[in-house]
Amino acid sequence: MSEQMNCTRRDFLKVAGAAVVVAAVAGAAPTLVTEAHAAELDLVSQRQSGVYAADANPKLYNLRKSQDNPMVQKLYAKGGFLGDGPCGHVSHELLHTHYVDRSAALKALKAKGIKLKA
Amino acid sequence: MQEMEKVMMKGSAPLDVDPGSFSFVQVDQEKCQACGTCVDVCKTGAIQAQGAEGKSKVLDPAACVNCGQCLVNCPYGAIYEEVSYVDAVFAALKDPNTVCVSMPAPAVRYALGEAFGLPAGTHVGGKMHAALRKLGFKFIWDNEFTADVTIMEEGTELINRVKHPSHHAPLPQFTSCCPGWVKFVEAYYPELIPNLSSAKSPIGMLGSLAKTYGAQQTKTDPAKMFTVSIMPCIAKKFEGLRPELAASGHRDTDVTITTRELAYMIKKAGIDFKNLKDDPADPILGEATGAATIFGTSGGVMEAALRLAYEVLSGEKLKDVDIKAVRTHEGIKSASIDVPHFGKVNVAVASGLDNAKKLCDEVKAGKSKYHFIEIMTCPGGCINGGGQIINPSVREAENGHSKIFAAINKRLAMKAQA
Repeated sequence: MSEQMNCTRRDFLKVAGAAVVVAAVAGAAPTLVTEAHAAELDLVSQRQSGVYAADANPKLYNLRKSQDNPMVQKLYAKGGFLGDGPCGHVSHELLHTHYVDRSAALKALKAKGIKLKA
Repeated sequence: MQEMEKVMMKGSAPLDVDPGSFSFVQVDQEKCQACGTCVDVCKTGAIQAQGAEGKSKVLDPAACVNCGQCLVNCPYGAIYEEVSYVDAVFAALKDPNTVCVSMPAPAVRYALGEAFGLPAGTHVGGKMHAALRKLGFKFIWDNEFTADVTIMEEGTELINRVKHPSHHAPLPQFTSCCPGWVKFVEAYYPELIPNLSSAKSPIGMLGSLAKTYGAQQTKTDPAKMFTVSIMPCIAKKFEGLRPELAASGHRDTDVTITTRELAYMIKKAGIDFKNLKDDPADPILGEATGAATIFGTSGGVMEAALRLAYEVLSGEKLKDVDIKAVRTHEGIKSASIDVPHFGKVNVAVASGLDNAKKLCDEVKAGKSKYHFIEIMTCPGGCINGGGQIINPSVREAENGHSKIFAAINKRLAMKAQA
């Protein structure tokens, strides 16, 4: 009995949860659980199929290369707003950035004994 | 707290707050059932079981990249968002002196329809533009335009690095579009910062272009512009608040909202979304190509970049634009692309930070053979982002066996007290 009480709620529920799923699959409503699980796996591929279908659909996107976009060409045209081209001076000012080393706070956290996955 | 598309949202944060000082997702201790789902899906370890009851908690903002995978996968809806700017957007839309600018990300249009009963993956870009116009946005600009610009900048940077790799611009080059990933590098792999493309993300570019080029072209006072970033992502709220993103002389992005918050706004405004007629984005900063729309999926930025790099490096036209070798929706995928007059371009695509970590360790050890690596934090990419419409099957538990869990919890708690 005391061993059972030492098990955390999380551990307990993981086992209980598995038991519930198994019971449902074996019991009265097997399709409910499997359909829900399939739906979860499917959602990402459904959205992804939508993306690639749109890319290949000339009614939605009649051009498929960034360099062919007429508004992009206008932006980079000689004498245009970014007339010195991609990675040029104005691009550097407006469209590029720098990053911040944020590792010190993480080191402090690990020094406190906190275990992270990365 | 307000509920928006099945997620609880707290209020706005000051626009000059340090976004590194707090976590954008938090666990409601009342609702947490200690099931451990979030602990499993979190790949940094920022969310962990705490105390005797084993309920989850975000430990420290320094460890969390704000991707929100914990939130979208919680069966109990126990994880809430700390920041919502919906009220600020409604106020700006009402103010006659404010010019509201919309900036929706590619992936938003593949999930937004789900909130209105359309099947997952339905492209609702045209309806989304129409809804934004009805909400009162003056300029319907689109982040897909700057996805194309990102290819020009990041692709050119890659070509420069391939031709002249240097200590401060080494190979491989990593993509820099994903804000969860960028914070992950800054915190967990700072030695790889030089490998990150210096190109801003598409939204970083659109914010700064809107208030400079866009303002110029439309003869609008940039000080009156209010730029609203609309994202499939919670970590973009962090990015939007980065102090360095003010190249236009103003805040480049005024506020960031998610796909869920946009759906909430459309419903709140009483717009009949399903029956809207398709509307194009506005010119100047709206038009986009297929290369831009695929940014929303894992492998898409890579494919879009290769459609440019191939032509620049080979001097030839790319006839078949479908580069299926880099299409993937899980794990790590690598490919070697033959480019005439150049040779092989070696690339890798990964989603999920556990996979990213493997590639980072290779680069750190000097063993990476790649020229270009695309990383997205969320498995499958932005289409599965932390700001997207909640997958109904994730919440089955709320109505189904969570009641059984709750009953078990209660008995357990009573036993523990006895």
